[in-house]
Amino acid sequence: MATYDFIFDGLGLRGWCGEKTGGTMSMEELLARNSGETKSLWELPFPSLDNLHDACPAIAQTRGLTSGLESGFLGIKDALKVVIDPITQPLSWFLSGALSIFQTVPWFVMIPILLGIVYLASKSTRLVGMVASFILFLAFIDHYDYAMQTLAIIFVCSMICVLLGVPIGIAMSRSDGLQRGVIPVLDMLQTLPPFVYLIPLIFLFSVTEPKLYGIAIILYAIVPVIRLTDLGIRLVDKDVIEAADAYGMTDRQKLYGVQIPLALPNIMAGVNQTIMMSLAMVVIASLVSAPGLGVLVLRGIRNLELGVGLISGLGIVLLAIILDRVTKAALARVNTAQQ
Amino acid sequence: MSEQIKISIQHLYKIFGDDPEAALEHVKNGVGKTELLAEHGHVLGLQDINVDMVAGEITVIMGLSGSGKSTLIRHLNRLIDPTSGQVLVDGDDVISYDEDSLRRLRRQQMSMVFQKFALLPHRTVVENAAMPLIVRGEDKQTALQEGSKWLERVGLQGNDHQHPHQLSGGMQQRVGIARALTSNSDIMLMDEAFSALDPLIRTDMQDLLLELQQELHKTIVFITHDLDEALKLADHLVILKDGYTVQQGEPQEILLHPNDPYIVDFISDINRARVLRVRSIMQPKTDAIEGPVAGDIDGNDNLESVIAASEGDTSLNYRVVSDGEQIGVLHMQDLVKALVPTSAAEDGVRGKV
Repeated sequence: MATYDFIFDGLGLRGWCGEKTGGTMSMEELLARNSGETKSLWELPFPSLDNLHDACPAIAQTRGLTSGLESGFLGIKDALKVVIDPITQPLSWFLSGALSIFQTVPWFVMIPILLGIVYLASKSTRLVGMVASFILFLAFIDHYDYAMQTLAIIFVCSMICVLLGVPIGIAMSRSDGLQRGVIPVLDMLQTLPPFVYLIPLIFLFSVTEPKLYGIAIILYAIVPVIRLTDLGIRLVDKDVIEAADAYGMTDRQKLYGVQIPLALPNIMAGVNQTIMMSLAMVVIASLVSAPGLGVLVLRGIRNLELGVGLISGLGIVLLAIILDRVTKAALARVNTAQQ
Repeated sequence: MSEQIKISIQHLYKIFGDDPEAALEHVKNGVGKTELLAEHGHVLGLQDINVDMVAGEITVIMGLSGSGKSTLIRHLNRLIDPTSGQVLVDGDDVISYDEDSLRRLRRQQMSMVFQKFALLPHRTVVENAAMPLIVRGEDKQTALQEGSKWLERVGLQGNDHQHPHQLSGGMQQRVGIARALTSNSDIMLMDEAFSALDPLIRTDMQDLLLELQQELHKTIVFITHDLDEALKLADHLVILKDGYTVQQGEPQEILLHPNDPYIVDFISDINRARVLRVRSIMQPKTDAIEGPVAGDIDGNDNLESVIAASEGDTSLNYRVVSDGEQIGVLHMQDLVKALVPTSAAEDGVRGKV
């Protein structure tokens, strides 16, 4: 007999519980019956759903919770898809567009363009030299295509993170209520293991769609740019804001003329973090068909190809260094312009 | 001279807290600042302030920190909204303004200079100076020219294209003043504008302000905690303490007839000879003076300069003139009497220590 029988018997709920259906017997029950020992108080189980179910079949098992959640999700899946599918469809277009552009432009055009962008952002020939040597090295060991796929995905996802994150951050900085509401969501996005939100995404979209990994990357990487935009605008000198008010600036003039420019160093720091996090996620996203260096890492793990895994890992490190140094150099230029 | 009232503050109250309306009733029933905080959890910011500010004059509002002076000046352009009361600018109640009229007031009629300069760090000096016009939406080129003109007027040539952080504190505040002047408003609010500057620069800036004022005749509201500064600049002096006006009037008048121990404390420390002026202590007299006259002095001379002229001889008499006409006579003995310091009041703040 189950441990908690006495509760339901004592409360006279036996009738409500219904009789045990018998059914299949678990291994545990079988062992308990065969040993014939009564359990001591030390072994008193916690009154969890499963243990209460043993005493009273009317109470659901914990298995019911997870399966209920699953069937609930599957139930709303179609309705959800009707809404989310069209909204996110452009993401698929952007990603496939960027991937095909980065791959079809020949290397002797692409590399100078990238170096040009690096120079515009950093105004540093040393940095351009470093980036050039990294890219040429990757191309030399035949990782150029993979690196470009990864770059294309990061480019699109970071761009969308900034386009969505900065306005959200600005809205948060203006409303304490919104800030209180959004911060727990950001905390959750940052701490939830990325694999966890891959699961419902797989249910929602087909694995062949680029937006599947696009959404996963954006959800993971958008957090810092939102946080730092909010922080940056809140940290703008109160005296300067007061001066802007005293001279009759409108909210719009204040936002574009004072708050965003003065928050720019913080926003740029957020963009840097966002780019680094999307690079981290693009590797994990190769589990759900994201192309790029992550695929090679995954191959290294699956087939225990040590060399392939290590070299592609090195490629990711080189990309990370490039992206980090270039965004930091741009940030430093913004900083010196202001200080 | 016609005394046209530019700004009139009437029965202004400001109470900080969750339910200022309820607290206002207590204050009107005579509850004091400390009691209000202890028993009702509200901070009394301003209490029944009534000040008339004359057009073209410098009104100085003086008080120690926490006396509510910065709160008061922010009511004039409604950076802070009052709990009750009126602020009339040219007869219009600013408190009843909607957002648009308020913005127009801030853009056209009032400019402000801040203690910590509050320049836009990412804009050049000239862009900062031109900011009020750019905010109004005027043509950028003319705005910059106007800004540049006023920068030159406050003594900042050739710094136009630097950024504020490249300038010293005194120079930054000159930009702040140029910005206020560029807006071409009648009213200038100056919130402890010179308090963050070192003493020599501060004196410089005060002189600059007086010089500009002679030419421009703005209505200036100046906040300070420094009595010497207040006496130097003020046409009309308002002394605040714990949110209420202790005394207001012509500075010389306050100096000679302080009506509160708090003010006596304040003025016991100052150099009276430098602050008092001949016209306040002379005997008014327009007919001929009996006895020998040592010379002519101006009514606006301070006593220090008279002492220097007399070389310390207390038996002399001076003829006081203003705009070439005799307005009175000054006996050096009266001058010495006026210099007798008032000691710290026994029942004042310092008397208790």
